[in-house]
Amino acid sequence: MGDKTIVTQVVSGAKSTAGGLRQGVQIRVDIFALVPYILLIALTATLVSLNSRLLSIQVLETKLNAALPLMFMTTAQALVILTGGIDLSIGGVLSLSTAIAATQMGETLDSIVMWSLIILLVGMAAGAINGLIVTYMRVTPFIATLATWSIWAGVALFVLPKEGGTIPRLLKEIVQRGRLLGLPKSVYILVLLIIFWLLIRRTRFGTRIYAVGSNANNAYLSGAPVKRTLIATYSLSGLLASMAGLYRTIQYSAGSPTAGDPFILTSAAAVIMGGMSLAGGRGGVVPSIVGAVILLLINDLIYFLGVSTFYTPMVQGVLLIMVVAIQSLGHYLRRRRAVQ
Amino acid sequence: MNRLLSIFKRNPTIVLAYVLAAAMVIIVSILRPGFGSITHLRSLAIEGAVIGLVALGQTVVIIGGGIDLSIPWMLNSAAILMTVFTRGQDSEMVWAIPLVLLIAAAVGLINGSAIAFLEITPIIMTLAMNAILLGIMAGVASGGLSIGYQHGAPPPIVLGLARNRILGLPAVVWVWGAFIVLASVILSFSGFGRRLYAIGNNPTAALYSGINVRRVRMLTYVLSAVMSAVAGIILAGKFGRAYLGMGEPFLFGSVAAVVVGGASILGGGGHYLGTVAGALILTVLTSLLPIFKLPAAAQNIVYGLVVLVMVYLAGLSRTSEV
Repeated sequence: MGDKTIVTQVVSGAKSTAGGLRQGVQIRVDIFALVPYILLIALTATLVSLNSRLLSIQVLETKLNAALPLMFMTTAQALVILTGGIDLSIGGVLSLSTAIAATQMGETLDSIVMWSLIILLVGMAAGAINGLIVTYMRVTPFIATLATWSIWAGVALFVLPKEGGTIPRLLKEIVQRGRLLGLPKSVYILVLLIIFWLLIRRTRFGTRIYAVGSNANNAYLSGAPVKRTLIATYSLSGLLASMAGLYRTIQYSAGSPTAGDPFILTSAAAVIMGGMSLAGGRGGVVPSIVGAVILLLINDLIYFLGVSTFYTPMVQGVLLIMVVAIQSLGHYLRRRRAVQ
Repeated sequence: MNRLLSIFKRNPTIVLAYVLAAAMVIIVSILRPGFGSITHLRSLAIEGAVIGLVALGQTVVIIGGGIDLSIPWMLNSAAILMTVFTRGQDSEMVWAIPLVLLIAAAVGLINGSAIAFLEITPIIMTLAMNAILLGIMAGVASGGLSIGYQHGAPPPIVLGLARNRILGLPAVVWVWGAFIVLASVILSFSGFGRRLYAIGNNPTAALYSGINVRRVRMLTYVLSAVMSAVAGIILAGKFGRAYLGMGEPFLFGSVAAVVVGGASILGGGGHYLGTVAGALILTVLTSLLPIFKLPAAAQNIVYGLVVLVMVYLAGLSRTSEV
């Protein structure tokens, strides 16, 4: 939420010299930015009213454990969408990470640390390659990452031809089992992810992500290193995707060469659900994570209503269209007011 | 004729794509004699026809500056509905096939009008539609709403499309041929084709020159949905059944065929004749893997690399013109 306010102010401040009149419009925009939070509260309230036992730390633990990979993937996707691109290759990177983790890691701490680092490096390198293709080969992000998705998925199939492998028990022990100060470890991981983003946003790199996304040409003219920013963003996206892969392997205690595929479109849907536009330059990571939670809660709601959860994608799709339609209504109203 | 030839002049990568496809077939036939046999080429042609038909709709949408990600489950829904409606009877096809195509057109109309009138980004709208169709199909199938025939066989006529031959070629290939001619004529010689390229190149300029941009854009999605349905029916005939998930490979396949065929994803360029070459390249590549004893994993890698290289080359030829 905070992200959105700041950015709309910066953007509209740069675009208009007449401040006073536009100020009124600003508040209206923020109402539309509230949509994901309203949905989140409404869904949670409905679920809790259906079953009050859902408000327990055990449920939070299992739910958050299941949700973390999507949250990492959504963050990865959100960063790239902020620059005005899209990253389909994060699915391939996730698959590749689970494949490497499930086949290579040994039971010793040394092996765990070494292979974790290798996996994160591979993810980052995969992202950097996307960035290079997008900036230096001038291939549109959609096609570039569609192609690299296919490539990484292929490499994952080479490493691990079918679902399987194992994960060292020690790693599961360190990352997932047990609690810290009474809270599940996944809570801390989520908090770290959000703090990580909030810190990045305050750096020069963070500002540049927004600058490149809202207008790459202007960013270039005002001296921002557009290409370097893009390459760094895609690298970060790959890094986050490999973290998601690592966590998913721990969660399932096994790897899968196609584990990443369902995340590709879901991560984009979560980002859109969080109120971001594919045009880039506006929105933030936190609402996107809220979007991911909404998508997951829909599944729970359908389950508790006694409907077959096979219908989940349908409800998610309808809700996604509704959210986007509300947003485009918002854009329309804003444009009309600007004309008046 | 000149207008068709000028397509190749304007898009040198289309020529390259055909040369590449032909060269691969010739080289591999020499290296591995079995590859060039008529039987094998026939089965390749069937594969190519299915990708080619799916990619027809995608080509039209991409020329108009959009993208259709709802193809996988539109195709799948059509295949399932067709087997359910006909219950394996030829006689039921009279109403079942038109009904399936009509349903597809309605889905395309929803996609198209949301994109054209509500101005929802194509990626999001079609992605959501794909999820909705997946949900409906999976939900109805799991609910067992008298859909038991879902795994049954399609009617003999549909089965025959992939199995019977007319003048030595599989019937599907003739169907594809007819669509190639039709699509080329529409793209190169009709007012719709001209308007389509115009809005793909510059929607604002197209609007100011009196083109009903919204209607053309909406129509592209209707066309894409109907073509996905046609391909779904044919694919059910090829596999001998319809099953959940049969459309999944075509999200990548349809986009890849279009961009390998030289069209720009930004719209306004390309031609279905290029996509045909793209579909042929993808088909030949897939068939090469077992011959060289490469695992299926290699297919993904090769597909990705081919897409990157062809898109890069197409970009080079486009910038060199300017």
